[in-house]
Amino acid sequence: MGPRWKGKGSEAKALADPMSNTVFQLQSSLTQSDAQGLLSGSTVLYQADEEQTDLLNRACFGRPILSAEKDKQWFQFGMEEALYLSYHLNCLKIVDGQDCEKNFQEVWKDMKSQKSTFPEFYIAYRHLRLKNWVVRPGSQYGVDFVAYRHHPALVHSEFAVLVLSKGEGSNENGRLRVWSDFLCTIRLCGSVAKTLLVLTVNDNGSGFVSPSCLDSYSIEERTVTRWSPEQCRENPAKV
Amino acid sequence: MEATVWESSSGGASGYDDNYAQDIKDEEECLCASGYLRKLQFRKHASTARWNDQMGMAEVLENKGSLWTTTGIVRCGKIYCSIEKTLFLIEVGALHLLDHDNSSLSLKDVYKKVAEGKNGYLWEQFEVYRHLKSLGFTVGKHKVPWSLKSVRNGSDISSPSSIENKGASDVKSEDERSIFELLDAIQLDEVTPIFDVFLPHNKFRKSSPGDPNFMVCLTRGYPPSKKDIEVLERTSRGIPMKYCYVEHGRVCLFSFDNVELPILP
Repeated sequence: MGPRWKGKGSEAKALADPMSNTVFQLQSSLTQSDAQGLLSGSTVLYQADEEQTDLLNRACFGRPILSAEKDKQWFQFGMEEALYLSYHLNCLKIVDGQDCEKNFQEVWKDMKSQKSTFPEFYIAYRHLRLKNWVVRPGSQYGVDFVAYRHHPALVHSEFAVLVLSKGEGSNENGRLRVWSDFLCTIRLCGSVAKTLLVLTVNDNGSGFVSPSCLDSYSIEERTVTRWSPEQCRENPAKV
Repeated sequence: MEATVWESSSGGASGYDDNYAQDIKDEEECLCASGYLRKLQFRKHASTARWNDQMGMAEVLENKGSLWTTTGIVRCGKIYCSIEKTLFLIEVGALHLLDHDNSSLSLKDVYKKVAEGKNGYLWEQFEVYRHLKSLGFTVGKHKVPWSLKSVRNGSDISSPSSIENKGASDVKSEDERSIFELLDAIQLDEVTPIFDVFLPHNKFRKSSPGDPNFMVCLTRGYPPSKKDIEVLERTSRGIPMKYCYVEHGRVCLFSFDNVELPILP
């Protein structure tokens, strides 16, 4: 299943406007304004100016919050997005309710306590973002993430992503343990024309205790598809 | 009436028509009161074979029709059929099976033989075989040479495993019996390939089958672990592996493909 562009000209539009470029502009803009995000539960809230609103929308970070405030736009970032912006792109400070900045270690601990699989999820998110894929939450399709080749306005998401862990606390995510899990997930993915992509994150013994594990993990990409012999009788390339 | 409503509500989205059609087909298959009935091509002329209990195989006495170019292994000028193949041929009416005393064996007798099989997954194995054979694929037992000639030609799958080496030497000593004991010994506890499968084409030769297009692993209950998949990937010499799951006569094949998403601009 290849990319499904939305209408004519979308592919060309995407090509002319690389995602890496948009993310870079966003990074510069946030750095310049010394951006601060407020950590609240498992969400980080951020008030964006007009330019940043445009860039966040174009780079697909966060979710705009509807409010009566006219001049500024509030955004809410998921944990993975927030950490990616703050510690990978280094353009967002995360603060608590007293405006105290939280360091990477603290945020990591916080987020891990909110969700025990956070390290694997973050690594998976970062892995795809590093390759300039657009990564959005996947709960709408019963998966962990969905991955787009470019902005969702131009293209349908290509992969439904599940994150599995390999290592000490193996498969805490609890997905894909039995065949019916595969049948269910693949059936659903198929009906929305997405390929199931399983990302297996191995902590290589670090236990993901501290953010330093970001140097020692390994990740594997594997698609799982239902293979239909009926449709591949003639063509060895389809096997 | 209801069907039309559904069709108009979900058929409009572009891009997933194929899947949608498949869903409808599956749905109908399930709803069909008589259950899942395959369309069989019944044969007019049946061949004859004699069951050999010691070998757990049938020796073909009289072969009719072209089906034998892709069925049965050749040893010492004779064709032998494993129990799956035998059962399949009887089901489609292409084989008349005799017992050692030349009395006729019925379909029921053969079903009973399958049920008595030492390996508890023989029926599921048969269902996979039947599924692929019905679609015209050429299906051989994994690592069992189609003929002695194919061993000499070295065109079978030859990875240095003990099963294979033992198999080959047994073939050479023409000790048929122990080959087949060996077949039984292939443990289904581990995830191992059971069939080597060739796409339907008329160039298939038992004497030089070449590499199969894919191999099939039957899984027991649980999906293959990451480790299982990796081990098989290392030993399969690039031949695609399909993982099979059988439930209620429904055969599902899956690919677990290692991929690398491209780095986008």
